[in-house]
Order: sequence, then C-alpha cells, then structure tokens
Amino acid sequence: MAGDKKMTKYSMYTKMIWHALLRRRSRMLIALMAVAIGATVVSGLVTIYYDVPRQMGREFRSYGANLLLTPAGDQQIISESLVSNATSLLQADKLIGIAPYLYDRVKVNEQPLQVAGTRFQSVKKVSPYWQIRGNWPEDQSEDIVIGADIAERLKIEPGQQVTLTVAGNDTEKKVKVAGIVRTGGPEEEFVFLDLSLLQQMLHKEGVVSIAQVSITANEAELTALTQKIGQQVPGVAPRLVKQVTQSEQTVLGKLQALVYLVTIVVLLLTLICVATTMMAVVTERRKEIGLKKALGAENRSIILEFLGEGLALGALGGLMGTILGFFFAQAVSVNVFGRIISFQPLIALLALVVSIVVTGLACLIPVKIATDVEPAIVLRGE
Amino acid sequence: MFWQMLKGALVRQSRKMFMVAITIALGVSLTTAMLNVMLDVGDKVNRELKAYGANITVTPRAASVLRDIYGLESGPGGAGQYLQEADVGKLKTIFWANNIVGFAPSLETKAIAGTGDVTVVGTWFNRQLELPTGEVVETGIKELKSWWTVEGNWVSDTDINSAMVGSTLAHKLGIHTGDTVELVLPGDSRREKVTVQGLFNSGGPEDEQIFVTLPFLQKALNLEGKVGKIEVSAITTPENDLARKAAHDPQSLSLKDWETWYCTAYVSSIAYQIEEAVSGSRAKPVRQVAESEGTILQKTQLLMLLITVLSLAGSALGISNLLTANMMERSREFGLLKALGATDGDVLLLTLTEIILTGLAGGVAGYFLGLGFAQIIGQNVFGSAVAINMMVIPWVILSVILITLVGSLPAIRMLLSLRPAAVLHGR
Repeated sequence: MAGDKKMTKYSMYTKMIWHALLRRRSRMLIALMAVAIGATVVSGLVTIYYDVPRQMGREFRSYGANLLLTPAGDQQIISESLVSNATSLLQADKLIGIAPYLYDRVKVNEQPLQVAGTRFQSVKKVSPYWQIRGNWPEDQSEDIVIGADIAERLKIEPGQQVTLTVAGNDTEKKVKVAGIVRTGGPEEEFVFLDLSLLQQMLHKEGVVSIAQVSITANEAELTALTQKIGQQVPGVAPRLVKQVTQSEQTVLGKLQALVYLVTIVVLLLTLICVATTMMAVVTERRKEIGLKKALGAENRSIILEFLGEGLALGALGGLMGTILGFFFAQAVSVNVFGRIISFQPLIALLALVVSIVVTGLACLIPVKIATDVEPAIVLRGE
Repeated sequence: MFWQMLKGALVRQSRKMFMVAITIALGVSLTTAMLNVMLDVGDKVNRELKAYGANITVTPRAASVLRDIYGLESGPGGAGQYLQEADVGKLKTIFWANNIVGFAPSLETKAIAGTGDVTVVGTWFNRQLELPTGEVVETGIKELKSWWTVEGNWVSDTDINSAMVGSTLAHKLGIHTGDTVELVLPGDSRREKVTVQGLFNSGGPEDEQIFVTLPFLQKALNLEGKVGKIEVSAITTPENDLARKAAHDPQSLSLKDWETWYCTAYVSSIAYQIEEAVSGSRAKPVRQVAESEGTILQKTQLLMLLITVLSLAGSALGISNLLTANMMERSREFGLLKALGATDGDVLLLTLTEIILTGLAGGVAGYFLGLGFAQIIGQNVFGSAVAINMMVIPWVILSVILITLVGSLPAIRMLLSLRPAAVLHGR
C-alpha cells in the first residue's frame, strides 16, 4: 500500500512539472532557448579552446623544419638507412615531412656553384614558404630548381636548358630548369636537383649530408625525441632548430592564454544572462507560488517542483546546446584551419552538467524569495 | 502625461528594469571587449611573432657583382661591398618607420682562433641610437634574437674588447666565460684580444661563431663606418595577390595599384622603401618568416572573429529573451491600459521608450565594463594594454539599438494581439 501511495505521489509530481512546462509554452520556450544558447557557447568555446593548440601547432609548421638529423662526430655524411632508422622512432601521425639534403659543388654552364640533392615532394611539405617561379620538377625527372640569386646572375629563366658537370666526372648533362626559388635565405645561392640523380653523379649512393624533419610537437616533446634518437641510433646527432621551436612555444602559449581568457569571460557573461532570464521567468510566477501555499503546500514541495522544472529545462536545453556547440566548433575549425575535429564526450558532459546546475540555481533563488513571503501579500498583488 | 506614465513604469518596475539593464550591460561589455580585442589581436600577435627574428635582410647591392665578376671574396677592399653604418638610422625615416621594431647591422669576417678558422661577426648588441628626428631608439641583436639562451652576460656595446661565443664553438675550443681569446684577423694578420662575456646557444649556425662589438671589428679590419648586412624586423600586413605581383616587379603595377601597394605595410613594400632610403642597398624579405607570419595572423584573426560572432549572437539572443519574458509578465498592465482607451500606438511608444532608456543606461555601463575586460585580457595575455578603438563605439550603439528593438519584436507582437478582456480576466 505504501508503495502505491509513493507511486501516485511521484506520478503527480511528474504530471505537475510536465503540465507547468506545457501550459506555459511560450514562457518555457524562452527559458529553454536561453539555456540552449548558454550551452552552445560553453561547449563550442571549450571545444575550440582544447583544439586550438593542436590546430595552430600544425599552422606553425609553415616555419619549416624544427628538427635536424646531422651526422654524429666529425662525419660529413650520414647513410640514408640511419636516417630512416631515426625517423621510424617518430609518430607517423605527427610527422609533416622529412627532407634529406646532400650538399656538394657542381658547375652550371661552367660556373662553380653549391648544389643540394633533395626530394622535391618532401621539400614542398617541410618548407612550404619556398616561392617558386615556374614549376616544381616532376617526381623522378632530371629537372632542377635554382636559387633566385644565381638565376639573376646567370640570366636563367624557367624552362631554359643548362649544362651540369661535376668534378672528377667529365660527362656533361643537359637538364631543364623547372623553377626558380625565392626564400630570402641561403637557398637562393643553391642549385637543387633530385637526390638520387646527384648521388649517382657523385658516386655517393645511399648517403645524405643532413635531413630536415618537420613534426608537430612542443619543445619538451622534441627534446625527449632528440634524446631518444641520440641514444637508440648511434651515428645520428639530432638537433633542435631553436629559433623555430622556442618561438613557437612562446607564441602558441600566448594564443592559448588568449582563447582561455576569452572563453572564461564569455562563459561568465553567458551564464549570468541565462540566470537572469530564468529568474525573470520564475519571478513571474510568484502568484502561483502564493496560491499553492494558501492551499496548504509545503515550502519544500514547492521548491522541489520548481527545481524539477529547472532541471528538466536545463537537461533539455543543455542537450540541444551541446549539439549546436559542437557544430559551431566544427564550423570554426573547418573555416579557419580547414580540418575537422572529433567529438569530445567529456566536453559535452561538462556543458550538460553546467547548464543543469546553472538553471537549477537560477530557479531556486526567486522561488526561495517567493516562498519566504506571506501568501496573502503575494496574492493581493504586491 | 506620457512622461509621468513612463516615470511611473520605470520606478514601479525598477527591479525588473534593473535586471534588463544588467543583461544589456553584460551583452554590451562582451561586445566591446571582444571587438576591441579582435581589432587589436593582429597587432599583438604580430609583435609576438617577432620572436622568429628578422623578416628583411639588407645587403649591399654591389657585393655579389664584385664577387662574381672580379672573383673578390668578402674581405677588405672595394667600397661598394659595404653599406654605411651612418645610413642605418635612415631605416627609421621611411613611410612605415613605426612598423620597424628592431634592426641590427653586422660585419662578418673569417679569423683564426686557437687552432682553427672561425667566423667573427661584429654587431650591435643593445644600442641606443639617436635618430635624425631627435628620437632615441634601442635596438640590437639582444632584441632581434630573443630565442638565444645566454650563459654569462650580454655584451655591452660600449665595452669594445668583449665578445660572446657560440656554445658549439666554445665546447670545441674549451672557452669559458671570463676567458681571453686571441683572434688572428685576415689582411695584415693583426692579433687582437677579446674577453668572453658570455656563451650563447642559438640552435643555429651562429653556435659556431664569435660575436664581437661592431666598432672593434671595423677598427681591426680598417673598415671604419662600414657594415656588411642589416637585419630588420618589421611588422607587416599578410601578403595578397597585389603584394605578390609587386614583389616580382613593382614597375609592372598601374599607378593606382602602385600607390595602394606603397602605402600598405606589405613586407615587399617595406623592403622597397628601405632600398630607397639606404643608398646602394638591396633589401630582401626572408620568406620563411614573412610568409608564415601572414598565415598565422590570418588564422588568429579569423578565429577571433568567429568567437566574437558566437558571443555576440549569444548575448543578443539572451537580451531578446529577457525582454520578451519581461513584457509577457506585464500583459495585465497593458491590458488595463488598452481597456482604459490607450491605442496600440500609445502602448507601443510607452514600452519602446522604456526599453530604449533602459538599454542606453545598460549600454553605457556595459561599454566601460567591456573596456575593463579587454584590458584584463590584454594585460594577462600580452602584458600590454589593448588599444581602445573608437571605431567600436558606433558598432556598440548600433548593436544595442538593433538588439533591443529586434529583441522586443516578439513581445511587441504579443502586445498588439492582446485582448484586454481576456488578459484582465486572468488568462
């Protein structure tokens, strides 16, 4: 029997909340919207805050290599197998690219010049700042790229044929200049050609002078990586490009702090906005509270009823907002960084909990005030 | 009568109107803070990106020609191979002078230290430079190479016989801070002694070099008043098609395009102006730094813009919501007014004036609150104040009016459809 009574009590409670929500459709819609907007902002901004360092870190890779693999000791060259041993220790999903370089001297149209053998497809990834007039050479072709300073001096235009000779090898090679590179740096004084071709011409098969690595990692991770490579691959001396790594750390840190503070400020203001709207909606019902009290309802049951309403609103609005917020963060990520983000269940949970708690609290305050006054005064319309 | 009613409504409803005013104030403060931060974030991040070092290098125009045609390697002789140190200050006289945040001239030579060849660089470390305008600027590699970690002290420019040694070289030659190093300089094999003030780690080729003061090296090489290179760090606008076209050949632009290009802080136009100011020079943008800066700036600005839009939309909806809730609550009052003979227009005028007055009060308070928020963000993140942009004010005023008016639209629609009898009856 006791159980039955309890059942009816609960069903009555649910019925009252349900009716309160339905009967006052337009008011509740307003409250629901307020909560949903709040939750959208919470989940959207927090997702962006967590995602920015990762996404921005990738953008910072446009500064070029942040890790160099150099020959250990007094060696001038390093074998390609050692380089691939070292790079196998790096996480593949964080790796942007590895560009090997073999430096030597060649003669172009009888002018002695510095030459670098490399893989153009990797250079494109590692050093995206190279400005090429003309085209990048096709893979496996014998086309070359020359620095802007040399081009200006020797009056070479893209598409032109030049003769290439190396010391100790009398055979001349006619090659086409595919493009002219401008970087504002030492690259403008170099001739670039395919690594295998240069190795073959110099009889230096399977060796390189240096390998440039571009990887998304912060300074601490990079330092750990260099130690790991130094220990596990003897013959390779990994070095950090400090100008790039340290500056990235500073700028990225500031950016994250910026998004963090903005998120906090926006969150605070949004929550206050949600709370005031909820309070306005509940304050309006003082008369109803007065009537219930006059009919003999206890303060506790009135508070419980309003709290139930608030929590239901908070949960529904929170759910809507969380989904909307994720789509917003997704839109930002696609527009700004051109990449999609994955759904973070923890953030969704956080947004849901925050909206339920805030709505609940915002309901409680005006109800508490209303239940504290005499029903007669409220009903009279004061 | 109208003003009396208005006053009555505002006083009677003071608590509710106060709440509306607070919500509007919060919304406006958010607008103000976000707009101010958004407009200034480019400049702030740009300054942070200066940590990547120089984005323009200035070299003598004749240097490469002399070397290539006459086979002269760098060293004494051939006046055209050098820039004048006196011209360095002219960098701060160009149109975009305020965008040049740091620069350092340098002179390089090969010398023998201990047993092997080393590169010796003479430069400004941290120099007070008086400009032709009478202004004094502080500049040098201490500011330009912010990523160097120094063990010991930075060299002071007045302390002529002191030097800093790169960590790799110091390790190889067993040099410590406080040691004296003898350098054998080229030409007439002069021997000069320098005291090592500090060792530095740059993570680049500088780690194998010795840095000395510029006057010391100029005297030792008999090149008084000459420099070989100037590194310049400038705040620039991200490149676009116009800038790329101009960088290739400025003469190919039409007069109008040329003016736009010249008067925009593109790295190429700043480099062009440096060439005009410093005689016989050639200024080249360092693509690695210039290009990446552009990308990162654009992404940051776009990110802030989208966050601003989200927060603005959020606060607009919040305000609109509260206004609607507030109006619904007062339907009985409006019903009575209508029953007493007030036309729809009268009621509308009364409520709108009420809302606008409240909005104005909230808006003014919110504007100043927002400036405070913007400063908190600026101080905490960048350690400097966010510039207060006057352009924000009309936007804020416009948004307050729009948000309050559009926000009260649902409420107004409800007011107009009120049937006095039904409302007074209590439905």
